[in-house]
Amino acid sequence: MKNRLKLKILAGFGLLVAMLASAGAFSIFEFYRMSRSLNALIDDNYKTIVASRAMLEALEREDSGILMLMLGQWDEGRHIIGSADSAFMHAFIQAENNLTEPNEGAYVEKVRMSYRDYKTLWERPIAGTERQGDMLWYQHELHQAFLQTKAEVNALMELNQQSMYDEATLLEAKSKRAMMPGIMAILSAILFSIMFNFFISRYLVAPLREMSGALQRYNFQSPELKVNIRSNDEVRALADELNHLLRRMWDKLGLK
Amino acid sequence: MRTEVVIKYLGIILLVNAAMLFVAFLISVLLQETSTIPLLFSTLVCVILGIFPLIFVERVHDISFQEGLSIVVIGWTMTCIAGMLPYIMWGGEFSLVNAFFESVSGYTTTGSTILTDVEALPKGLLFWRASTHWLGGIGIVAFVLLILPKSRNPRLKLMNVEISEIARQNFRYTTRRVLGMLAGVYLLLTLAETLLLNLAGMGLFDSIAHSFATIATGGFSTRNLSVAYYDSLAIEIIIVVFMVLSGMHFGLLFTTFTGKPQNIFRSKVALSYVGAMAVGMLLVAANLYWLGYHSPGQALRTAMFQVASVGTTTGFATEDTAAWPSFSILILIWFTIQCAMAGSTSGGLKFDRVYLMVHSLRKQLRLLKHPNAVVTLRIDGQVIDESLERQTLVFILMYVLVFVTSTLLLTLLDVSLLTAFSASIACLGNVGPGFEHVSSMGNFSELPAAGKFVLSIVMLLGRLEIFSVLGFLSTLRGR
Repeated sequence: MKNRLKLKILAGFGLLVAMLASAGAFSIFEFYRMSRSLNALIDDNYKTIVASRAMLEALEREDSGILMLMLGQWDEGRHIIGSADSAFMHAFIQAENNLTEPNEGAYVEKVRMSYRDYKTLWERPIAGTERQGDMLWYQHELHQAFLQTKAEVNALMELNQQSMYDEATLLEAKSKRAMMPGIMAILSAILFSIMFNFFISRYLVAPLREMSGALQRYNFQSPELKVNIRSNDEVRALADELNHLLRRMWDKLGLK
Repeated sequence: MRTEVVIKYLGIILLVNAAMLFVAFLISVLLQETSTIPLLFSTLVCVILGIFPLIFVERVHDISFQEGLSIVVIGWTMTCIAGMLPYIMWGGEFSLVNAFFESVSGYTTTGSTILTDVEALPKGLLFWRASTHWLGGIGIVAFVLLILPKSRNPRLKLMNVEISEIARQNFRYTTRRVLGMLAGVYLLLTLAETLLLNLAGMGLFDSIAHSFATIATGGFSTRNLSVAYYDSLAIEIIIVVFMVLSGMHFGLLFTTFTGKPQNIFRSKVALSYVGAMAVGMLLVAANLYWLGYHSPGQALRTAMFQVASVGTTTGFATEDTAAWPSFSILILIWFTIQCAMAGSTSGGLKFDRVYLMVHSLRKQLRLLKHPNAVVTLRIDGQVIDESLERQTLVFILMYVLVFVTSTLLLTLLDVSLLTAFSASIACLGNVGPGFEHVSSMGNFSELPAAGKFVLSIVMLLGRLEIFSVLGFLSTLRGR
C-alpha cells in the first residue's frame, strides 16, 4: 500500500508527458520529412527545369547563329553557335546528372539524340557553300531538327514541372499530417486532464473531505468514523489509522 | 451510477481497439507506408487513455444495469471516435465528418463508404478499415467481455445490454458459454473464409480483409469495384456461402456444427430466412433474364450475389444494382428492411422480428375469430410471451420513426428522395448500399456533411437497436 497513491499520480503525469512527447516527436519527424521533400523539390526538379530553360535559350541562340551563317556572317555566326553549344552542353550535363523521376533517363536520351542530329546539320560548313542562302534547306531540315530538339527539351521540362506540382500537392497533405499529431495530442491531453482531475477528485479529494466532515460531525457515539473509501491506498490507510486512533482513545478514556 | 466503473470499462474497450490498431501499424511499417505515423499515434492515444483508468479504479465485482447501458452506448460512440483517428491523421479524402462516417460505418458493419478511390489507401489503413468491421461484428463490448476476468455479474449485465432480447431467445447457455461460442464460431468462420478465398485466387491481404468484412456482414472491400474486381465465380460462391452463414444466429450455427439436435435444419426461423432469400434470388434472376439484362446463368449469378449481400446486410457488390429494373430494386429494398437473423453479426430490424410480427398478426386474426380462445405464440417450440410481442412491435415502430426522421432530414438537406430514402434504410439496417447516388457501385461522398453526420447517428442507432440508446438517455434524464 505504501506509495500507491504517489505511483498513481506519477503514472498520470507520466502518461500525459508520454502523450505530449510522442506528439511532439511525431510532429518534428513529419516536419523534418516535409523539409526534406521541400529540399528535394528544389534540388531535384527545379534544377532540371532551370537546365531545360538554359537548353532552350541556347537552342534559340544557336538558331540565330545559324541564320547569321546563312546570311554569310561567318565569324559572328560561328561565335554565337560556339558559345550557345557550350551553354547547351553545360545545361544538358546538369540535367543528365540529375535524374530523379522514373523514366527521366529516356527523356534525357531523346534530348541527346535529337540535339546530336541537329548539331550534325549545322556542324558542317554553311557560309561559303551552296547551303548559304538556301532557305528551303533551312526550312525543311535545319529548322525541323531545331523544333524537334526544342520539343524534347520541353517534354523533359514538363515532366519535372508536373512532378514538382504533384510534390507540392503532396506537401499540403504532409503539412496537414505534421499538424495532426499536435492537434490530436491537445485534444487527448484535454480529455486526459478531465479524466485525471475526475480521478484525483474521486479518489483523493472526496475521501479527504469525507474524513474531514466525519471528524467535524464526530460526537463520541461510536469508536468508528464512517467514511466510504473506494481505493486501497494511502487514503484508506489514513482512514484506517484514524479509526485505530479513535479506538485507542475510546479504550484509554474507558468509553463504551 | 459509478462513473469510474463506466470509465474503467471504456478504457478496456480502447485497449481492445489499440491492439488491432497496433497490428495495422505493423503492416504499415512492413510496407513502409504513409499511414505508419497516424496508426502508431492512434495506438498510443488509445493505450494511454485506456490504461489510465485501470491504474486508478480497483477491481469491479458488480455493475448495475444503468452502468451496463452507459458502457455499451458510450463505448460504441467512443470506439467510433477512436476509430476515426488514423483516418483523420492520414488525410486524403478524410475530412472530420468523412472520417467519422467511415469509422461508424466500419464498426456498425454497415459498409457504406465516402471513399471514391479505396485503392489509394495504404494497406495499413485498409487493414484498419477491415478490422473495424471485425471488431464491430462480434460487438466491441462482447470483445471486452471475452478478455475480462471471470466475474459473472458484469458479464451477464453487459451481455444483456449488448445482445438484444430477441437474439437471446436462441442462446440457451450461460453467459460465459455464449461468449465462448460466439468467439469460436466467429474465429472459425473468419479463418475458413480467408483460407478458401486465398485458395480461389484472391491475394492473402485481400482474403483477410474480405473475410473480416463478410463474417462481420460489413461490406468494406479493398477494391473500388468491390467483389466485381475479381470476376471469379468461385470467389463469389465462397462469399455468398459465408455471407448467408454470417447472417444466421451464431447459437444455431454452433449447435449445427457440433451436431446438437436444436440446429438450423430444425429452426423454422432459420429455414424461413434462407427460404425467403432463395425466393428473392429466383425472382430477381427471373426479372433480370426476362427483361433482357442478362443471360439465364449470369442473371442467376448476379441475383444470388446481390440478394445474399443485401439480405445478410453485408453490402458487397458485383454489379451496379441502381441500373436494375424496378421490380428487382423493390425486392432488394425489402431485404434491406428485413435484414438478417437476430444473434448474427448484423444490425438493423432483424428477420426474427419480421417473422414474429407475421405470426403475431396471425394470432390476432385467430383471436378476432375466436375472442375467448387462449392462443399462445410459439416460435421454434418456445412460447413467446406477450411482453416480447409488444416489445417487438414498439421496436418496429421506433425503427420506422427513426427511418422517416432520417429521410426527412436528408431531403431537407436537398438530397433526392430515392437517395435519402434508400440511404436511410440502408444505414439504419447496417446494410450499406442504397440506390441512385449511393448505389452498390456508388458511394456517400456526394452527400452534404450534415447528411453524413445524420446517417452516422442512424447507423449507430441501427447497431445499438434503438432501445439501448433510449435506455441510456432515460438514465441521463433520471440523473
